[in-house]
Amino acid sequence: MKRRDFIALALALSSSVAMPAFAEDAAQPYKGAHLAVLMEGHPTTDGIQALLPEFTKATGIEVDLEVVPESDITAKMLLEFSSGSGRYDVVQNNIIYIPGFVQAGYIVPLDDLAAKLPDNYDKADFVPGYLNTSIVDGKLYGLPVYGESTFLMYRKDLFEEYGLTPPKTFTEVAEAAKTIKEKSNGEIAGITMRGAQGIQNVYVWAGWLWGYGGQFITEDGKSALGSDEAAASLDAYARVLRDYGPVGVANFGWEENRVLFQQGKAGMTMDATVNGAFNEDPSISSVVGKVGYTPVPVETDKLKGGSSSLAVHSLYIAEASQQKEAAWLFASWATAKEQQIKSFGIAPNSGVTSQAALNSEEFNKRYGAFKDAMLASIARGNPQYLPTVEAANEIINNAGIAVSKALAGSASAKDALAEANAANDAALSR
Amino acid sequence: MHDTTRYFYRPVVLLFGAISAVLTLYVVWLTLHNISLLRPGRESFIGLDNYLRLLTDGRAINALGRTVLFTVAATAAELVIGLAISLLVDRDFRGKRIVRAILLVPIVMTPVVVGLTWRFLLNPTNGMMNYALSIVGLGPVDWLGDPNVALFSLLLADIWQWTPFVVLLAMASLESLPEDPQNAARVDGAREWQVLWHITLPALKRALLVVALIRAIDAVKAFDIFYIMTRGGPALSTETLNLYGYISAFTNFDISYSLTIAMVLTILTNVALLLLYNLAFRAPKQGQA
Repeated sequence: MKRRDFIALALALSSSVAMPAFAEDAAQPYKGAHLAVLMEGHPTTDGIQALLPEFTKATGIEVDLEVVPESDITAKMLLEFSSGSGRYDVVQNNIIYIPGFVQAGYIVPLDDLAAKLPDNYDKADFVPGYLNTSIVDGKLYGLPVYGESTFLMYRKDLFEEYGLTPPKTFTEVAEAAKTIKEKSNGEIAGITMRGAQGIQNVYVWAGWLWGYGGQFITEDGKSALGSDEAAASLDAYARVLRDYGPVGVANFGWEENRVLFQQGKAGMTMDATVNGAFNEDPSISSVVGKVGYTPVPVETDKLKGGSSSLAVHSLYIAEASQQKEAAWLFASWATAKEQQIKSFGIAPNSGVTSQAALNSEEFNKRYGAFKDAMLASIARGNPQYLPTVEAANEIINNAGIAVSKALAGSASAKDALAEANAANDAALSR
Repeated sequence: MHDTTRYFYRPVVLLFGAISAVLTLYVVWLTLHNISLLRPGRESFIGLDNYLRLLTDGRAINALGRTVLFTVAATAAELVIGLAISLLVDRDFRGKRIVRAILLVPIVMTPVVVGLTWRFLLNPTNGMMNYALSIVGLGPVDWLGDPNVALFSLLLADIWQWTPFVVLLAMASLESLPEDPQNAARVDGAREWQVLWHITLPALKRALLVVALIRAIDAVKAFDIFYIMTRGGPALSTETLNLYGYISAFTNFDISYSLTIAMVLTILTNVALLLLYNLAFRAPKQGQA
């Protein structure tokens, strides 16, 4: 090769490389930004993690995604928030923390960012019930990553064999549980639910509390766990699990409870709608096609709120973040319908928050068995299902101790709740 | 007398002393406020309120009781079982080195692994323990789900992990004991249990007290297996003061109250250990003098 040719070739090569790079710089105003994101260990997070390279390629923004268990995530972000470190740009958490975070000034409203960088954000595509939970005083604070409700799951085959009908009240739940346990000679537990102390047992028992006409906090901000309705609901919850539940239920969290039902060892369970995705997955479940889904029962007409949960986990942008616009680009990309639809192929995920994803062919194929019951539960989902006040965590913890005590029989439901009631009043007044 | 070595050790002592004094005072200062992670900028000085709250907090007092019960039971059981095993293996036999190596396994295991392993063993539906019980026609026992049993299940795991530590130290002490007094006693017609009770054990006393102290300090601080196996449940039956402090900080975000709990536990532990230490080491010297 002659020297002149070589120079010409080198010039041609360098220009062909350099030209698109200039073009990309214009399209990637945030190129080189480095975001730190804290998310929960959950199937939706797996999906976002797998799709991250596409985001980096499109925007030039690098993302450090840190994944921790849901039970530890609040403490982790609060330690950083309270010191104003700016360690995390985007965090994920349950919407029950929004009021506390907003009051403390830890997270920022997103409306201005949405107006400035609207490319990935399609407000109308979010399930309205989900997006509304992230709005405080008319301002948007979070973008829903996943949402779910709770419902009652029952074994259609067993119900048919024993001549049972899907329960509409908790009394009928107890009767059905009794029948299943007795007619299967104790081989199959009548019902399984979470018993582990803390958010685990409270998340399911709360459905009974509301369904019996109780509530966590009164309108004037006092604890309401000392009521007769609350005591009746806890007494029924503990009784049905003690009498017809599986061995070891006192330590059952979401996972243990789900696995037992998937293995066909229980006739009913009441839990998150995402469990449907696991029940209908042939690679892990032995009850595919045998499960019926129906809303969480109610015991009375006089409800202070629905007995189905409305649990939404959103992405928030930290006040201390130095790169809020790049953070918004990530949050709006991670919750956009394109990513949600792609996530079906990555992990079992029925908690999508995009209506386009919910109505997609893929969703119907995978989760058609429980889609209607899930949508019905979400529609009647109670946004106050778990307390949303500043001291929410402590109130849930105290209630969990009461449920655990009643379940273990170390205190009566009324006494255990009286104790929790006093502790919650103290927490609310602190 | 002028001792020049003091110019070398005094600055070091001063530095360490200053660091621990500053930290302790800072913690005390924090306990006199009402700092919560959820209420930034709204903390205020509240004097001794946190300490008064702790005094009337039934949950804390029960937790303290469990800490004491766990510490005493774990230390005593580990000491007795460990001593018995070390006396049994205190002779030359084939494979002694292998036995010693195996004894090390539980000690070097990470507590998280120990906790998970025991959780599987104690699983009420498909754990090995209930299977073993079912062979002899007993059970099933809900090891970690029954509030009357759960603390003992945790004790079992702690004893399994830390008894070998006692065995190793006791074996080392036994091997370094002079044999002459024992043989002299045997010549004088003492039976084996008399030799053990009157000669061997008194000679081991010092070593055993040190081991007991180390184990007691560790047992007060035990956290990992509690966190992994029960997280304080069911029905608070395994919540020690340590764990309550953790929950106050990381579930309730009540930093000042959590530090108050930690402070009180530290003070109580220090007083108890100082008393034990004096009992173990000062008294004999005064007796001799």
